[in-house]
Amino acid sequence: MSILTSLRSTRILKFLPLVSALCILVGITWLLLLPLDDYSRRTYISENALLPGQVHTYFGGSEQDVFRAYRHEVTALGKNASADGSGVMAEKIRGIFEAFGLKVGKQKFEYTTAGGVYAGENVYAVLQAPRGDATEALVLCAAWINTEGELNESGVALVLALARYLKRWSLWSKDIIFLITSDSRAGPQAWVDAYHDLHTPPAVTSLPLKSGAIQGVVVVDYPTSRGFESLHIVYDGINGQLPNLDLINTAVRIASGQMGIRTTLQEMWSHDNEYKDRLRTMLRGMVNQGLGHASGPHSSFIPYHIDAITLQAYGDGWHDEVTLGRTVESLFRSLNNLLEHFHQSFFFYLLMAERRFVSIGTYLPSAMLIAVNFTIAAIGLWLKSGRLNDKEDEDNKSNDGKGSEEKEGLLKSGEKAPSADEQPDLVSEERPLLLSMAFVVAIHFLGFIPLYLFNNLDEKNFTRAFYVFTLLNIALPSVLCAIFTKSFAPTSLHFTLIKCFSLLLLGMFLSALATLNFSLSFLIGVFASPITFINPTPKRKWTVGAAWMALLQGLTPTTALVGVALYWGEPLSEILKEAAFGWRVWGMWTQVVVWCVWWPAWIIAGVLVAGSWAVEA
Amino acid sequence: MDRRSFTVVIAAVILRLVLFTAFPSLPNLLTNRVELSTPVTSFKRLQEGLFLYTHGLSPYDGGVFHQAPLLLAFFTTLPSNPIVVYLVYILSDVLSAYSLIQIATSGVSVSTPYHTSSRKSSTWPPWAVAVAFLFNPFSIATCIARPTIVFTNTAILTAIAKGVKGHGIAAVLALAMASYLSLYPVLLLPPMVLLAYDSLPAAKKVGRSLGSFAAVLTAVFTVAAAGLGALSWGITGGSWEFLASTYGVHLLLPDLTPNVGLWWYFFIEMFDSFREFFLCVFQLHLAVYLAGLCLRLRKQPLFVITTLLGISSIFKSYPSIGDTALYLSLLSLYRHIFPLMRYTFFVTSTLLYATLLGPAFYYLWIYAGSGNANFFYAITLVWSLAVTVLVSDAIFAVLRDEWETERPEMKGKEIVQI
Repeated sequence: MSILTSLRSTRILKFLPLVSALCILVGITWLLLLPLDDYSRRTYISENALLPGQVHTYFGGSEQDVFRAYRHEVTALGKNASADGSGVMAEKIRGIFEAFGLKVGKQKFEYTTAGGVYAGENVYAVLQAPRGDATEALVLCAAWINTEGELNESGVALVLALARYLKRWSLWSKDIIFLITSDSRAGPQAWVDAYHDLHTPPAVTSLPLKSGAIQGVVVVDYPTSRGFESLHIVYDGINGQLPNLDLINTAVRIASGQMGIRTTLQEMWSHDNEYKDRLRTMLRGMVNQGLGHASGPHSSFIPYHIDAITLQAYGDGWHDEVTLGRTVESLFRSLNNLLEHFHQSFFFYLLMAERRFVSIGTYLPSAMLIAVNFTIAAIGLWLKSGRLNDKEDEDNKSNDGKGSEEKEGLLKSGEKAPSADEQPDLVSEERPLLLSMAFVVAIHFLGFIPLYLFNNLDEKNFTRAFYVFTLLNIALPSVLCAIFTKSFAPTSLHFTLIKCFSLLLLGMFLSALATLNFSLSFLIGVFASPITFINPTPKRKWTVGAAWMALLQGLTPTTALVGVALYWGEPLSEILKEAAFGWRVWGMWTQVVVWCVWWPAWIIAGVLVAGSWAVEA
Repeated sequence: MDRRSFTVVIAAVILRLVLFTAFPSLPNLLTNRVELSTPVTSFKRLQEGLFLYTHGLSPYDGGVFHQAPLLLAFFTTLPSNPIVVYLVYILSDVLSAYSLIQIATSGVSVSTPYHTSSRKSSTWPPWAVAVAFLFNPFSIATCIARPTIVFTNTAILTAIAKGVKGHGIAAVLALAMASYLSLYPVLLLPPMVLLAYDSLPAAKKVGRSLGSFAAVLTAVFTVAAAGLGALSWGITGGSWEFLASTYGVHLLLPDLTPNVGLWWYFFIEMFDSFREFFLCVFQLHLAVYLAGLCLRLRKQPLFVITTLLGISSIFKSYPSIGDTALYLSLLSLYRHIFPLMRYTFFVTSTLLYATLLGPAFYYLWIYAGSGNANFFYAITLVWSLAVTVLVSDAIFAVLRDEWETERPEMKGKEIVQI
């Protein structure tokens, strides 16, 4: 009681917007400080069993000739079979695997999304562990076509050569699965779904052959036949989930420590390990995480709690397939040592250089502060709406004598008027909750319309649909506001409460989201932060409203979509296609957050601004 | 039931039918949520028990099934069509709503023989109370997840509806059913007796002291409970096994599946030598409020029942969202005290936060593997905190309302408790 009364009677309410602003400011500054030496940490191996780079690697010598032979086969196959798809490829690779004496399985899959058909055939072989009991497995994977759409000739050949080579060792305690998927996007997903019996036959067929629980996955992506300069480690999973940091650390340590290959992250091809490059790496990682799409064939494994990375050979250099092969060999020897599933190191982290990271405890406050700013604003608005008549109250200050008379009059006309000298604090006014609540909930449900639309349209119509939607979106807040004011005649109190509930929901969703996908929560929080400062009280100059409206229009989800398209340098329809594909195939839920959390909050903000024109106080 | 209430009920039935049929995966999804299904109410476990029962095995073998034998008998008589099961649960919700409408119509929440609130004009009409129950997302989710707590809730509400009409025998019979299904409603017997006694028409009260009335009702309750026990004995083929597997589980907590309550984590962490002691403490803690509330709130026995339900939804051994939904629906009868409550916004937002973060943390713990049990337990603590604040705030408001009714001149004045 006393806290609340003091909140109401003092001027704390006035300071709440400042507190909100401070939260946003501190949140963003916090993030910007992270790349500094004092706030980030050097990576380290937590799991002692891994012993990265402690073994001699023997891949090389005559294996190189074998590798080259396979590469010829793959290149030839790639040239001939490009037309009729992966059936020929799968059959040919099956023959090669069987020649080693491995058990081989094939899997056909076909996904239909947004009018496009994604079909292919995966082929895989299981090397049964000489010292294991088939309860655990590791996966070495190469996609026939890599994420860029190139033929992954050396990658596939390397997997084949390694399959032949690793088979000769007697020290494996986990099964090794050699997987060649026909593409980088749908193939791995179909395979891992079927491995866990969560596929949908007949579109995705079941696996004829299985092994134990998968402990780790390494994907090799090496699309050229030339030497490479550095190893690009891709680690983002679907919906922003990440593999255990130990796996990345092991790969970095083996590649750079044992093999002397430079490693890079997040397409930062040159990295001086100074503030600017660290920040850029971190931000690129956050964008990838926030979008929640698959960044490589490994991404599909991560939602199944399987730690997975892609090793991409990048650039022209003097490292060759033997170095990469030995890296993979050493990595598998480390993984083979695992006594239990990766669990020691971090699952939530931001990498800013290959050996520099921050963990969740350090970075989470930034997103939480931004989410909290909305909650604080909501609490402030709630308290404000509880005052008998705050507008009158403000007038009082300018015009004291007359004002207090007015106030008394108001109090007396109230239902439970106390005697004149009493503070009315205890007599809580009933707030008109129902209408405001219904409005906020209705707008949130409205979000399902664009969600459904953009996930189910045909890809040919995407661009047109997007432009039509953008135009509608510009007008929608004003139209909604007009309808709302016409039919319900809301007062400024209604608008205050609408803003209160909207911000409360936004803060709640974002703080829950921050635990699942930090980057998405942070990015949406930053984009939505101006909403906190919209003044829902009418009777303002229309120019202020116009300025607000212009600002808001610049911060819509549709603008963000255009921004993503520019960032990737791809046409809009491609982005929308990827989103629809992700929704259907990968189980990506970034759209749900955009359309059912962010977009409704934006619409309501627009309605509030429009309301400041429409409603006469 | 007036026309509006009727419309509300019809709309709620349609909504539930749509949810059941239009989203076929939804019932199973919700059934697996630990927040909705506990070991003693889960629909999945009920099916397991049914399978064993229909195959002539003891349903209590294997330690999965912990629900009352009569439920087995009831569900075996039903056709195995899922639509029928859906309809049974929907019907149960409708009966609960009907009871709530009766309770609201009786006006007991604002005026009893000893107390008539000065704010009685601001209660919700019966149909609004029905809306608050039938369209509460927690009630809807509970209905779709099909835990057997739904039947307990119906029995409790029926008992109250009978109680406010002064039908003492019928009330304790329904209460015996509720206690038979999930034990803890037995705590409601004393306030239920008070409620039934207060609601007796003046003519019937003549010559009947509260003591004799209570003795009769307690006897009826005991006989009814014993009868149900005997019936169960018959159903399970002459074995008392069910006692240990149902009430024993409520009391001794052998199954530590997570839920929204406070027990599971505590007893996971506990050293075995302290287990018995803390079991006693935790169980006693539930019962300890009974006498105090009955004495202090003697004028409003319905509110004692409401508060006890709120308390048991926090502190009982296997609580679920369904218990909280029942408390919230009864609280909606006390619309007139809402203005006196101080933390409504805090409670609402905390409950909403916990509702969102609970599944998120559970996901991180169980599926993503990146969190651990502490995450989820922290949220259940927050949830319990919110309900606790709500319960105590409601008690404060009701006491304040009583006080203001006694001393109208004190309305709106600040009070300091010393």
